[in-house]
Amino acid sequence: MEVFESLGKIFNVSLIYATFRASTPIIYAALCAAITQQANILNIGTEGIMLVGAFTAVAVSYFTGSWILGVAAAMGGGAVIAMIMAVGHIKYDSEICAIGMGINLFAIAITKFLMQVLFNTNGTFSDPAIVPIPTVHLPFLEHIPVLNELLNDWCFTEWFVIIFIIILQFLFYKTVWGLRLRAVGQFPMAAQTAGINVNAVKYQAMLISGLIGGLAGAHLSLGYSTQFVENMTNNRGFMGVAAMYFGGANPVLTAVGCLLFGFSDSVGARLQAYGFPAQFVLMTPYLVTVIVLAVSMAIKLGAVKKKQSSLVTG
Amino acid sequence: MSNSLKGFYKILITLVVALGIGAIFILAIGENPIAAYGALLKGALGTKLGLGNTIAGFTPLLLTSIAFAVAAKGGAFNVGVEGEVILGGITAAYIGVNWGFLPVPLLYLACFLGAMAVAAAWAFIPAVLKAYYNVSEVCVTILMNTVALYIGSYLVSGPMSAGTATPQSDPVLVTLPKIMKPSNANAGVFIAIVVVVLVILIVYKTKWGYKIRTVGTNPAFADYVGISSKKVFISTMLLSGMLGGIAGCIEVLGVYGYYLDNFAKDLGTNGMLAALIVKSNMTTTPFIALFLAVLKAGSMAMQQATDVPKSIVDTVSAIFIIIATMNFVVSLRTRRKAEKAAAEKRPQDPSSAGTEGKGGSK
Repeated sequence: MEVFESLGKIFNVSLIYATFRASTPIIYAALCAAITQQANILNIGTEGIMLVGAFTAVAVSYFTGSWILGVAAAMGGGAVIAMIMAVGHIKYDSEICAIGMGINLFAIAITKFLMQVLFNTNGTFSDPAIVPIPTVHLPFLEHIPVLNELLNDWCFTEWFVIIFIIILQFLFYKTVWGLRLRAVGQFPMAAQTAGINVNAVKYQAMLISGLIGGLAGAHLSLGYSTQFVENMTNNRGFMGVAAMYFGGANPVLTAVGCLLFGFSDSVGARLQAYGFPAQFVLMTPYLVTVIVLAVSMAIKLGAVKKKQSSLVTG
Repeated sequence: MSNSLKGFYKILITLVVALGIGAIFILAIGENPIAAYGALLKGALGTKLGLGNTIAGFTPLLLTSIAFAVAAKGGAFNVGVEGEVILGGITAAYIGVNWGFLPVPLLYLACFLGAMAVAAAWAFIPAVLKAYYNVSEVCVTILMNTVALYIGSYLVSGPMSAGTATPQSDPVLVTLPKIMKPSNANAGVFIAIVVVVLVILIVYKTKWGYKIRTVGTNPAFADYVGISSKKVFISTMLLSGMLGGIAGCIEVLGVYGYYLDNFAKDLGTNGMLAALIVKSNMTTTPFIALFLAVLKAGSMAMQQATDVPKSIVDTVSAIFIIIATMNFVVSLRTRRKAEKAAAEKRPQDPSSAGTEGKGGSK
């Protein structure tokens, strides 16, 4: 009986929101990686873009007292970092993994440096003057028991992510620009022959990716929490990239992958209360990510092979 | 010869630009960049303690940078060296503490072999996933680093804990002698140098090395001539993992004498940095590793002497690789342009046509 009681405490209604809450930063990161992946650029720098965004958001919100300016500046900062990568990769032909890791290291170092210079602290910067992204309070839900717990007081960017997934899905698969983007990713030479400026599309994808990555960071530091911590992205960018692989750069499927990581994260956090060693709890999302990545790629590969063999025999 | 000279110039120019950008940052916070860099060099090389710390920092960096470079030679972007260092370290600590029944020389050997085996096994996972299921090794290794960190952390705060306040293991029964007391420099640096020379010889002078380089350059060609690209890829990752394991073993036996939680922080990342700056060129990677070791060892002295935060060193190193990954093609392009112009002037000149072809193949 006790086991059931504990299970009931772990798997209850609030777990749904906890899962979504833990997933949101990863969803933004995954969308940041998805848009460049559509143009066949593996955005390893997602982590760095996000970290710079998180720092910029906190710094601007702290100095101006406006969360909107903070988010806007974060998106701008993310775009700048993404453009450095874009110029390096597209114009100067640097290997995307190499420059992406360079960007990630740069982001960790520069945010640490700026934190010491601007705020004179190490490790964590939190201050009441940082204005967070507001939560959306829906008064009419107050009297509905389950829905109130589920849907009320979401952070503004948590609502926005749902709209954003739909916007991107539409952009990728229903617009001319999306068609061009995918054409550039799948067969650049054909795209070029069709009169598409391949590099321009790639730059655009990287720019938008930077904006999204910056937003991801801003959500992490102003929505998910209200502080900046050294290396606070904590591999969420890479989890986003993994989720992007899982969903094949399709925004909706990618978001589903992110929810899986968010779920393992939230369940893990609850298990900690039952005497599981903290380290096992902490490593769960990473382990799940690796396993999911491996399984999804294996299935995909199997499907491709099946298609090929049926072509040969048919 | 002229190519390697150009490579050298390129690194020099990149270095100057990176240090220049660093100087601008230092100026921006109202400090003197020359004084800061001077304090850094003095801290790293000027005193016996500083020099010892530079050597101590250089030892793992040398191994991790070569571990990354050798994987890159086989076509893998192995970010997982850090995890391999951690698991190598914890294995060495386990064997070093618990296998006292072995005679001393064998115990040393067991520590190293155990560390290599476990680290290689860890590298085997992303290698197989990449080779057979095409899962991005970058993603997997990054995530696995965190898993390795928590495994190590769990073991030293639980089953292998020495019962102290800081999570660490019991002291190991055998240690590598320190060579420049009171610094952490130890005999491990000689082991590291020997191992690295061996690995460079393997890659450039043996059949296996030839296979590694072929698979790294063009896996389809390798398969075509009868080299199994998948198997060679995996074996390269195993070699890379072993190097990480040795680094972990040396850190545990040489520097600490026990396993300290989180001891490998940034060892893998900095090794990767060193290798990336020279595009995983195995003969120049060790020198970059030495250079980074000097920067790291001196950064603390700089922070104490001049109020410049030591994170400026990481910033400069990161800028260094960002520029280094791009710069090559810039110089190549200008060269190619110059050659084209020369070829147009004298179209019958065969030597310029030859070099142009060489430039185009890269």
